[in-house]
Parts: sequence; C-alpha cells; structure tokens
Amino acid sequence: MASLRGLSRPARSLPLSQLPRQTYTACSIRCASSQAAKAEAEEDLQELETDSLLHAPPLSEEEKRQFRPWKRALDRQFMLPSGRYQYHPPKYNRGPLHPIQSPPSSDPVARDFVPGPFNFPRLKHTYQSTIAPDLMTLLYEHTPPGTPKNETPQRLRGWDGSSPYHKNRPLRGPRGGPNLPLLERDITFKNIPEIKEVTIASYVPEAVKDPEHLLAARTAMLALTGTLPTVTKTKHSIAQWGIKEGEKAGVKTTLIGNAAYEFLDRCIHLVFPKIKDWKGISATTGDGSGNLAWGFTPEELKLFPEIEVNYSMYPAKMLPGCRVFVKTTATSDRHARLLLQAMGVPFYGKV
Amino acid sequence: MGKLPSTILRRPSLAAGSLPSSSALPQTAATTTATLHRPTLPAQCTNTQAAGAHQVRHATFVARPRRPYMFTQLVQLSDGSTFTVRTTSPAALYKSDKDTRNHMLWQPSEKSLKNVEVDEAGKLAAFRERFGNAWNLEGPNAPVQQAAAAAAAAKKDAVEPKQVEAAAKAPKGRAVEEPAAAAAQQDDAAAYDSLVDLISMYATEDKSVKGGLSAKDQARKEKSGKKK
Repeated sequence: MASLRGLSRPARSLPLSQLPRQTYTACSIRCASSQAAKAEAEEDLQELETDSLLHAPPLSEEEKRQFRPWKRALDRQFMLPSGRYQYHPPKYNRGPLHPIQSPPSSDPVARDFVPGPFNFPRLKHTYQSTIAPDLMTLLYEHTPPGTPKNETPQRLRGWDGSSPYHKNRPLRGPRGGPNLPLLERDITFKNIPEIKEVTIASYVPEAVKDPEHLLAARTAMLALTGTLPTVTKTKHSIAQWGIKEGEKAGVKTTLIGNAAYEFLDRCIHLVFPKIKDWKGISATTGDGSGNLAWGFTPEELKLFPEIEVNYSMYPAKMLPGCRVFVKTTATSDRHARLLLQAMGVPFYGKV
Repeated sequence: MGKLPSTILRRPSLAAGSLPSSSALPQTAATTTATLHRPTLPAQCTNTQAAGAHQVRHATFVARPRRPYMFTQLVQLSDGSTFTVRTTSPAALYKSDKDTRNHMLWQPSEKSLKNVEVDEAGKLAAFRERFGNAWNLEGPNAPVQQAAAAAAAAKKDAVEPKQVEAAAKAPKGRAVEEPAAAAAQQDDAAAYDSLVDLISMYATEDKSVKGGLSAKDQARKEKSGKKK
C-alpha cells in the first residue's frame, strides 16, 4: 500500500480514459443485504493503510526516469495559462457561434457587470409583502364555476361588402385613429399591477441658446437618478418658440427595478409632503393604458435630498423642472391608480 | 476571477506537441495579420480560419456601464423609523423633518397635526369679537371699499405712507378707546376697523408704487379714454 504514491506517478502520464475506474453502482448497494454491506465496510477498513507516507521508500531510478513533467506539458493539447495570466473578457460580442464568447453579465469580470443589489428597497418590500396580496384579495371577483365566459366583442370594424373588392380585406381599426385602446384585465394572482419602469424627462428649451442649461439639467438628473441621462432633441421646428428640429433641448432617463422603486419611494415619502399647499396628483392623469405621470417644478425638484444636499452647486436659476412617467403593468389607468394609491400617492379631483 | 473560457489563448510555439520554431513563426505572423483584435491560435486555425480571415462586421461592442458612485444612506423619517437607500448624496444620514408621517394628507386621523388653536383663557375669541375675523370683513359696511377710497384720497394728496399710517392709527385708536361713540365717528372708525384693513390698504397702494400699469395696459387705458 505504501507504493501507491509511486504507482500513481507513471499512471498519471496515461490519459484518464485509459485508467480503469472503480465504479460503484447504486444498484449493488441497494440490492445487497445489510450483512453483506457490513462485511464490505469491514473489508474497506482493512484496506486503510496504517503506516505513514513519510516512511515510504525512496523512488527508484526507473520511477525517476518515468517522472517527466516537461513531457506532460508537451503532450498537453491545450496550453495552461501562466501564473501572471489574467483573463479579460472580449471587447466585442461576435455572435453565438464564435469561439470566443463573453462571460455572462453576472460574472464580475464581465465588461457589462454591475454590482449589486446592495439593499432591498423599502417600497419594493412593501409591495411584495402587503400591496400585491391586498390588491389581489380586495379586487377579487368571484365567478361561480360553470359561468359562461363573456367573450370580448370584435372591436375591429368589418367591411360592409358593398364592393366585390371587400372580400378578404383585413378588418378596419377603430374610428378616429389607428390605435386600439387596451382592455382592462381582471386582477388575478397572475395579473397584479406592478411598477415596470419610471422615466424622468426634462425639457430645457433654454439650452438652445445657452448649452450651460443642458449641463445643469444633466447634472441634476444624474444626481436624482444615479444614471447618466440621454440628451433629447427637439422633434419639430417651431419658429414662435425659437426652436429648430434636431436641437439638443432636454434630458431623459429611465429607471427600472430597484432604482425605480427607490425613486418612487423618495418622491412619495420625502418630496411630496414637503411641497407647499400640495393637494395631490390630478386623478385625471394617465394615458389610458396604465401609465401615470406628474411633474416637478424647479422649486419642487429642490426638495429632493440629492439636490438639496448640494443645492449651491447648481448655477442660479438653471435647475430645470422635470416630468415623471410611471409605467405599470396595469392596462388601465384605474388599476394603475389603485397601485399608486396603495403605495401612498394621493390623488385629487374627479376621475 | 471568472471562469476561463473554453478557448484559452495558447502559446503558438507549443502547438502540436513539438517545438518547430521555424514552422511556428511564419504561422503566427500569418494569423496575426489575418485577425483583427483576436489573436487566433494556430491549432485552432483550421476551425476558425474562415471566420478569422475576413473582417467581422457583426461584432457588437460590449460597453462598460457608466455609473456614478452611489452611497448607502440611512434615512430617518420624522417618526424615528430608519431605512437605507442607495443614493448619489454623500450624506450618511438624512433626517427628514417633513414627510408622510407628519403630514395631514397621509395621516388624517392624527390630532396633533390638526391646526387647532388652544384658547383656554378666551383671549383669541375676545380679540375676534372686538376686531372681527378675516371672513366678516366684507360686511354690510364694506370697510374694504371705504379703505380703498381713503387710500385713493391719500394718494391724491401725495401723503407719505407714514402719514397715512399715522392718520389711520388715530381713528383706530379712538375706536378702541370709545367703542360706543357717535354715529358720525363710527363711520370713520369702521373704515379702519381692524389691522387687516390697513394691510389691505397698503396692498392696494403697493401696485402704484411698483410702477403702475404695464405699457400694454397703459396704452389700452388711454385708448378706452379716447373713445369715451
């Protein structure tokens, strides 16, 4: 048994596949009776060597000749990295069939790795633990089993067939516009409205004359959201407003996930209460498909803790206002309002 | 460190299990010229030469995300509850003095937030009985209009505001001293029934001090005057 170490060295030069491997099948253990298992265990114990490896005899000349690490290195099909080797992920993704692939973004060495999350947002926790179950329970509508499903009627208009060319024509869209409004879906366990993303946009028309305004807007937005905003350009030329198409006049950024929840939390719990004579958000807000929006004037933007902490950094009268668009998975404003109300956004006025 | 990819960069001289330096060198030169960014390996050349020989146009740049430094901040609400947020603000602790925990809109049942005045001695009620409230100013006497008229008269005489104040104080003082005075005196006293009158008078006067009408309004006024 002491010569096991010596035996293993020449064996190491052999490829792994040639070595006979002792395989224990699960079947043998399962089928054996308990006595047989006991006997096997005793045999195994007997195989244990009692003397130390330190007392092993020195290597023979033959064994020394067989020990050739440089030969192993030569025979190795693939090069091992050197000691100072550092893996750098590729700068470019060249498709799924390319031999060099980027590591996944969850890998800390990946180029697009973003560490975190570092905390669990309070509002998200509230949503998961309280708001979502409450919404689901309180908006439950019981339909007795066997109730016939009332199908949504066809909302697209057909053709009257007055012309032979009407045959096989696709249905027409609704009157007044090409867009079919979304249908409100019932809130069930798999359809509870939640926050999808929050977009913050700021239109700074003064930036056309003075680019400093754009810089101030970008800085404020960066402080607010922690993301680098993108600069938006004017869509149309309007002579009265002194803008031309394609001029840089605004910034916007979109927050998703934890950042969106944290921003909403700050808005609701820290900023809204500080606004003087604030009634709430107009209940008529919304685009009809579950996305609500509100705005902050420069004075109100000043109340954000991030802006407030170094307010003097921003040049005088250059701090812009901004608009906040909250996109939810709800398909109607009613459901979106319910969600935001549960999160603590007060609404005022008639819907 | 991350996992090593399946294709590790290989030393070209050790390829194919031998050390033929004469054959390895030109091969490496060929591969380096053929590939752009990626040092392809000679052993793999047979497989990837088709891909490496041509310039790859469908490569997408993997951008490193630009993100500012984010601090973990402890936020303490006005009721003492704390939580952490990720923020760009470098302050370690943010103590909020006004938030949803002490705001009427969110805490409608909180009595301490209600603006209820404590008037145990009845002094405030007595004051109101004597000088009236803000909402009963527009009474049958219409003191505001009288005050405005008085102000206009004062302006005509080009009296200094201080003098107006003195003139206003005198009848008010009289009214305080003799609440049951003669009817003629009462009319005077009613003009300056309360301090609110005085304030509102100055407020109306303030407009003219600031510069009066704007150029547009002035022109309109002149036009209408000409028509008449």
